[in-house]
Amino acid sequence: MQTNKKLTDVLHTVVSSALVCSMLMGICLLVAPLVSAVPDKTFTVGFDAEFPPYGYKDESGEYVGFDLDLAAEVCKRKGWELVKQPIDWDSKDMELESGAIDCIWNGFTLNGREDKYTWTVPYIDNSQVVVVKADSDVKNLSDLKGKVVAVQSDSSALAAFTGDDATEENKALANEFSELQQVGDYNTAFLNLESGMVQAVCLDYGVAKHQVSGKENVFRQLEDVVSTEKYAVGFKLGNTELRDQVQSTLLEMKKDGTFDSIARKWELQDSVCLSADTNQTENTMAVTSKKDGVNYMSMFLQLLEGMGSTLIIFALTLLFSLPLGLLLTFVRMSKFRPLQWLARIYISIMRGTPLMLQLLVVCFAPYYVFRINLGSSYRFYAVIIGFSLNYAAYFAEIFRAGIQSVPNGQREAASILGYSKVQTFVRIIFPQMIKNVLPPVTNEVITLVKDTSLAFALAYTELFIVAKQIAAAQANILPLFAAGLFYYIFNFVVAFVMNAIEKKLNYYK
Amino acid sequence: MELLEINNLSKSFDGKKVLEDISLSVGQGEVVSIIGPSGSGKSTLLRCATFLETMDDGELSYCGKKVVSSENGKAVYPGKAEMQEAKSKFSLVFQNFNLFPHYNVLKNVTDAPIHVMKRNREEVYEEASEMLKKVGLSDKEKSYPCELSGGQQQRVAIARALVMNPEIIFFDEPTSALDPEITSGILKIMRELANEKMTMVVVTHEMDFARAVSDKVIFMDGGFIIEQGKPSDVIDNPNNERTKSFLKKLSL
Repeated sequence: MQTNKKLTDVLHTVVSSALVCSMLMGICLLVAPLVSAVPDKTFTVGFDAEFPPYGYKDESGEYVGFDLDLAAEVCKRKGWELVKQPIDWDSKDMELESGAIDCIWNGFTLNGREDKYTWTVPYIDNSQVVVVKADSDVKNLSDLKGKVVAVQSDSSALAAFTGDDATEENKALANEFSELQQVGDYNTAFLNLESGMVQAVCLDYGVAKHQVSGKENVFRQLEDVVSTEKYAVGFKLGNTELRDQVQSTLLEMKKDGTFDSIARKWELQDSVCLSADTNQTENTMAVTSKKDGVNYMSMFLQLLEGMGSTLIIFALTLLFSLPLGLLLTFVRMSKFRPLQWLARIYISIMRGTPLMLQLLVVCFAPYYVFRINLGSSYRFYAVIIGFSLNYAAYFAEIFRAGIQSVPNGQREAASILGYSKVQTFVRIIFPQMIKNVLPPVTNEVITLVKDTSLAFALAYTELFIVAKQIAAAQANILPLFAAGLFYYIFNFVVAFVMNAIEKKLNYYK
Repeated sequence: MELLEINNLSKSFDGKKVLEDISLSVGQGEVVSIIGPSGSGKSTLLRCATFLETMDDGELSYCGKKVVSSENGKAVYPGKAEMQEAKSKFSLVFQNFNLFPHYNVLKNVTDAPIHVMKRNREEVYEEASEMLKKVGLSDKEKSYPCELSGGQQQRVAIARALVMNPEIIFFDEPTSALDPEITSGILKIMRELANEKMTMVVVTHEMDFARAVSDKVIFMDGGFIIEQGKPSDVIDNPNNERTKSFLKKLSL
């Protein structure tokens, strides 16, 4: 029997790729229920995983920190299961409102936010301090005149200079700065400081201590203090029941000395402001050193895990967006006008708004619009849904161009030979379309590899976020370079594979 | 019995009439040549007859069975099944071949009989080999269209049309896209088909071919049939002034 060997080869490649994708999806579906296994009572703590020593990722890839230790101890005493949920700091209110997290416990400043959350009593008194380079000529706050000062966006340091409750003194001081620069995380701020792009960083006392310790020859902390502030645990406004349970347990821990012991472990004993009436008894708790030097193997393993997540986002997005794109093409090319316009509007919105915004909408709209709480495992599905919906729009337009560039004579020949509409598409148009769309599809696939890093908007821990967290925790930019290298190699492979398919399809025309 | 009968066909594009009141019939085993200047509506007529265009008004029958009928000055087309049956009566050879570029020669010829007509594979392959032999391309079964010359591609297209076992084959200027020295090979194949009593309707500019092979010649101009009859009448002794001036221009 005669068969078309080359076409069969191509089909073989396509089918085996599809199989690999399905297997990956299968793995995800198997893992997802494990991740979302629900115990009797969980206590989900939302925290910014780039905020040492309160909450961050340690060398072995665990989320650790002073606040997380406190939360763990509270859960132990209450018999709850602790869920540590890293969040994107800018989305903290949505996370709390939607019930994705139970509280924000992460060096969370009470001052100025008294009415926005239900608070425990403050447990840490944290001043805003300024760090400069060791050899800087800045000796006190007034020397900052004309300098570039970095603060974290939406941080207490920023609020201390420009917020509603900022003192007149601080506002005047900020006006004298050459620039008050907002940065995403403290690691970036210190990289900027070290490289001379900013002359000072203003931040929480505890964080400053962590960053400066061991690097006294590079950085110096000013003795002047910008402001004083207090940390407490923030709950959704009105959730006093949970607040009371956590607060009473905290006070209990303060009484028996556990609280102070944990504070000492993180070198925060000077900042503690929680007071209990009864005498404190010493609690012997294992104190482990947090600075062991850089563990490259562990760093590598964490990055590897992040790569896995990135690959899963990549594979699942392609798996869903390619067929969805084709479906959308049919709707877009439909002769029924209303359908056609529906597809036009969809494509216009998906291409005309930022992908990051779409991800946020997919993740939080179910709660804000429909009041449905989908739980924290939905985060992963939201990433996949968001990416697939967005990429489908781009693929649809590429497919449409690919279909339209097949000469009309092909359809006419098929019509004369009696092919049905479906046969004409499947046997004649589709194979030729594939060849036409390969170069632009390759472009999109390469963009997708890099776009996976946008999943950070939903705090889904893929490669880029892992790299940023390790970089923040270890004050080391190596992980970011490693991540960059991975993206490059990944794309190199993608380009190679697509090129091979293109070559295979070059047997005609 | 008439294989093809067209009555009072009219067609316009965007309000501009391109075919008006066209009536013609083609009998079993007849070869009909349609000649005329470009823009006269020859190709549109063929495209209407093969359902690539829909006519505005008129009637059309294949093998005595009415396919398109006229109701209140509008052409009415039948349902899918009847259209499919009518389509099985004819085939069309295009000016620019329209082979499927992703299929090799053999698959181009056999795909439709196997997948559309659901015929027995072995039988189709056998017949396809025979047809390819007939058009002189036995050694090109595995080649892709892009590896063939224009003349070879047109021969594949003819083989593809023949394997469908049509009652009637339409040719839409089959040699116009080809170099003159290649043209004769294609015309030779068509002449052989005529000798085998294949019913053919050919839109052509090849007057020698029309004169030698046709049973009937139709001269069209401006969307009308101006003159039709035996080649010895229409080509050699035309009555109409427009036919005369067209033929004069050609012979210059």
